[in-house]
Amino acid sequence: MDFEIINPATTLELLGTINELQSKHFRFGAGYSDLLMELKKKPEENLVVINLSQIKDTAFTGLTISPDHVRMGAMVTAHKIVMNEQLNKDYPVLHQAALTLASTQIRQVATVGGNLCTASPSGDIACALVALIAHCEIMDSTGKTKSIPITDFFLGPRKTVIKKNEFLNGVLVSANNKLSKNIYSAFLKIGTRRSMECSVVSLAYHIQTDDDGDIIHAGVAIGASAPTIRFAKDACDYLIGKRFDHIHQKEKEEFATKVLSYADPITDIRATAWYRKEVLYNLSKSIFE
Amino acid sequence: MKKEYKVIGKPIPKQDANIRVTGKAIYGHDILLPGMLYGAILRTEHPSAIIESIDVSEAIQLPGVHCVITADDVDVNNIGYKRDHPILKKGEANCTRDEIAAVAADTKEIAQQALRLIKVNYRIRKGVYDAFEALDESAPQINKFISGKFENKNIAEKFHYEHGNLEEEKKKSKHIVSRRFTLPRMTHACMATSNITASFNNIDKKLLLYSSTQVPFLYQRDMAHALKMNPSDIRVIQPVIGGGFGSKLDMHPFEPICALLSIKTGRPVQIIYSREEEFIASPIRQPMVIDLTAGVDKDGNFTFREINIIKDNGAYTSWGATTPFVIMQAFSSLYKVKACRFDAKAVYTNNIFAGSFRGYGNPQATFALERVIDLLAGELGMDKADIRLLNANEKGEVTGQGLHYDTCGHKECLETVIEHSGYRTRSLQNNDKRYKRGIGIASMLHVGGGAKIYRSDGCGTTLKIDPYGYCTIITGSNEIGQGSETVLAMMASEELGIELSKIKVINTDTDVKPWDVGVHASRTSFVAGNSLLGAIRILKEKLNKKAAEFLKTSHFDFDYSDNMIIPVNTKEGIALDKVVREMHFSAPNELAIASFFYEPSSKFQDKDFKGNVSGTYAFAAQAIEVEVDTYTGNVKVLDIYVAQDVGKVLNPLLLGGQIEGGILQGVGYALTEELLMKEGRILNPNFHNYKMLTASDIPDIHFYPVETLDKEGPYGAKGVGEAPLIPTAAAIANAICNALDLDVLDLPIIPEKILTALAEKKGTK
Ligand SMILES: Cc1cc2nc3c(=O)[nH]c(=O)nc-3n(C[C@H](O)[C@H](O)[C@H](O)COP(=O)(O)OP(=O)(O)OC[C@H]3O[C@@H](n4cnc5c(N)ncnc54)[C@H](O)[C@@H]3O)c2cc1C
Repeated sequence: MDFEIINPATTLELLGTINELQSKHFRFGAGYSDLLMELKKKPEENLVVINLSQIKDTAFTGLTISPDHVRMGAMVTAHKIVMNEQLNKDYPVLHQAALTLASTQIRQVATVGGNLCTASPSGDIACALVALIAHCEIMDSTGKTKSIPITDFFLGPRKTVIKKNEFLNGVLVSANNKLSKNIYSAFLKIGTRRSMECSVVSLAYHIQTDDDGDIIHAGVAIGASAPTIRFAKDACDYLIGKRFDHIHQKEKEEFATKVLSYADPITDIRATAWYRKEVLYNLSKSIFE
Repeated sequence: MKKEYKVIGKPIPKQDANIRVTGKAIYGHDILLPGMLYGAILRTEHPSAIIESIDVSEAIQLPGVHCVITADDVDVNNIGYKRDHPILKKGEANCTRDEIAAVAADTKEIAQQALRLIKVNYRIRKGVYDAFEALDESAPQINKFISGKFENKNIAEKFHYEHGNLEEEKKKSKHIVSRRFTLPRMTHACMATSNITASFNNIDKKLLLYSSTQVPFLYQRDMAHALKMNPSDIRVIQPVIGGGFGSKLDMHPFEPICALLSIKTGRPVQIIYSREEEFIASPIRQPMVIDLTAGVDKDGNFTFREINIIKDNGAYTSWGATTPFVIMQAFSSLYKVKACRFDAKAVYTNNIFAGSFRGYGNPQATFALERVIDLLAGELGMDKADIRLLNANEKGEVTGQGLHYDTCGHKECLETVIEHSGYRTRSLQNNDKRYKRGIGIASMLHVGGGAKIYRSDGCGTTLKIDPYGYCTIITGSNEIGQGSETVLAMMASEELGIELSKIKVINTDTDVKPWDVGVHASRTSFVAGNSLLGAIRILKEKLNKKAAEFLKTSHFDFDYSDNMIIPVNTKEGIALDKVVREMHFSAPNELAIASFFYEPSSKFQDKDFKGNVSGTYAFAAQAIEVEVDTYTGNVKVLDIYVAQDVGKVLNPLLLGGQIEGGILQGVGYALTEELLMKEGRILNPNFHNYKMLTASDIPDIHFYPVETLDKEGPYGAKGVGEAPLIPTAAAIANAICNALDLDVLDLPIIPEKILTALAEKKGTK
């Protein structure tokens, strides 16, 4: 593994670097917990790595919670998410996803941007963000930003919409309704061990009810079950208007079947497609148990 | 009556703990000798192939490369327990680890680059990756170096044992249960990867090796045989070892290869495995298929056991092939059983070969046996604890195989875990739809006082006290992390009244230390401890004599305490260092040195494998509670209750370390760890997919030592190192079966196997 490394200190310098390198082969490095593995497995020739970890701009590194949204700069680490009390209270799915990522050590370096841009079907933070229907803020080398729904962000395993002159600047999550009351939200991660585990199957959900218990908002995403993380839209729509604590057996099964219709898992060394489907179905039901 | 000790039995931290946790310990990886080169090994691309040609010409040309060797460049003997393993392979490759060529270069990077320049032409052939297929007459002969001693060309080793009248006991049986159990490949995953530094001095033709072997004297002999040298021209120094667990019992090809590179270049050469190489090319626990049939009479007494084992030997034979020595002990002698017939074959395949691994076949045997005991209890409608207590081993028993249980904590261990786990009183609250709880019991028997598998199972000690009152223990035994240095120092401190900070243990150099057979069979505290106590006895006689002279007393009974030698029942004594100075510096000028060789009372087994093979025997029982998630198949181990007959607790802290570490290896064996193979290749040579458990998976471990004070053991102690791992998988499997009413026959019990079994039971798969 051999590469040149460039260390921009500000977003402005980063834009300059990206412009300069347009004719060269470059990659971004944030926490490196995916990148180094990838390069070790498959070394790349004449590679320049643009090191993002020295950029200090808060838009890139900070986590802000305002009345209408949560904004995380691309360099926000899993550790930072875990330590934020407000996120833990209002967006348990995100907190739990970050907490189950790898280990304490890796969480210190692993970033939201890296988790999204690596576009792994089993990305945990990414899966939670899909359930939260986040928006990705993409900046190009002229400094222009655009915001796209996260469901449009992933094109396939290890493929995103980000172009060569672009990078991920941050992620936006809309605030919960009505002071974040009546939230049912969790990240269910299945693997063999309790840490240092890559999801064999994951299910992220973020559901809100009104004061009567009727579901007014539902976000459900599945990980490690298809070429990309998927938002189970039909399953979400199915829930709207139903009483969260009165979902009966038949409805649970119907909901689970709808979730499962988004799954298209593979058989690999970690599990068979059969297992992944079976577990996904069971987990979907378990939300209401 | 229990004797009070000042040091023995106290929770004294491991003496090398500080250097280890501060990073000051010098591992093999840290060694840097002047002019040292870096070695690297080219392994075969195909697990089974004809090697048509090897072209190293480009590699040799690469600047920075000093030497490239293949089988054609060296004059060596085969290695391995059966001498069926060429160090460098010629003509054919038989397993994915096969060493084709090796390079020594200025840097690691150049060495790796040189490997890429070596061109090998392979003619791929169909390999044999299943031991049963290898036994088929039509299978090719896999290893060409065996003599054809057995009826089938692919049998590497076989064992037959029996006692009692099997047919008679079958007739007496009310119930008979038969099952086939399949056991996986497990790797040691030592924290430090395999490493060696070899330095050949081409002036005096002597070879110096920095090696992490567990058995330096056998290693010295094996290395000499491989390289056609004189053993005493080879000096083995053991740097700090980052994990053994049995993996370093065999000498592996990379070690003589490194020596050969040093001999060829006249420079020191170092080989260090990468983590991936460690997964691929270090030994494993033997995979095997165990067919077990066992019976029980109407009252619950065990009648007979009939065992047939096929072990996948891989392409070459290591010590691993001899694990049936231990396996048959479990079947013949764990619980009373009137008749036993045991057959085991190690069969060559084109898979990776096994080695030895903590427990030495016993976890496999105990898993099968303890599962079948649960099934027999089920057939009888008898309680699973009661059937075990009824048949438990007893003090004074001589087993069918001739093992003498002079002390025996088997029943007490079982009773202890049955009581503390609340096995009889607990309600499992299994009304939850999703999560099901279960509890399982298993026990074990293992050698506890060495194992006579070599002409001597002994250990030598030279002990000296210097004129300043410091003590040096030069012991044949070695430290591989298990804490033997600390325990030996504690014994010397107890007996000589010298504080631990004044005691040094020298144990790393074959040129200095006396003979010992090595670290294995949970033997070190027992054998090296007894050896040290023997040396202390002799030295004390000398010191007592001098002290008596000095104190002008006819007393010959002394207390050694606080660096003083004090006649018993008096207050006035003399400083130990003063006595030593008197010995050294006044006529007749004698050194305060003593040597002793301890040989355990154990015997070689006869050709029928009968005889009292160990100085004493260790017993243990575990009761384990699990919770299974029927939605995912995940098993959560909740509580592990473990009672172990340790003879005597020498140091509760170190003992606890052995218990916890062993149990966690056992949990991994039960639930997650398996080196997966397809057509001879390893699919998961990394920690990502080889699922070793982490700190967050550790269950609550409740440990109850049982002290039986064996008269053979130092202070009554027995070996403890392997036992904690042995019954764990069996107890977990029993607990899972208890929770879900399943019949678990394979390890590891991964979540998918559980969901599959549940679906099959429901008829949905
Ligand atoms: C031992 C181990 C365990 C792991 N366990 C988990 C786990 O449990 N769950 C999980 O989800 N992941 C896990 N991972 C994967 C990894 O840690 C996460 O995906 C992490 O979030 C990646 O972040 P990073 O900052 O390290 O990314 P990097 O490795 O720095 O980057 C990853 C990719 O994203 C690109 N990139 C990074 N930032 C940007 C940006 N701002 N704009 C454009 N492209 C960018 C990089 O070029 C690279 O292609 C594990 C990794 C390891 C090594």
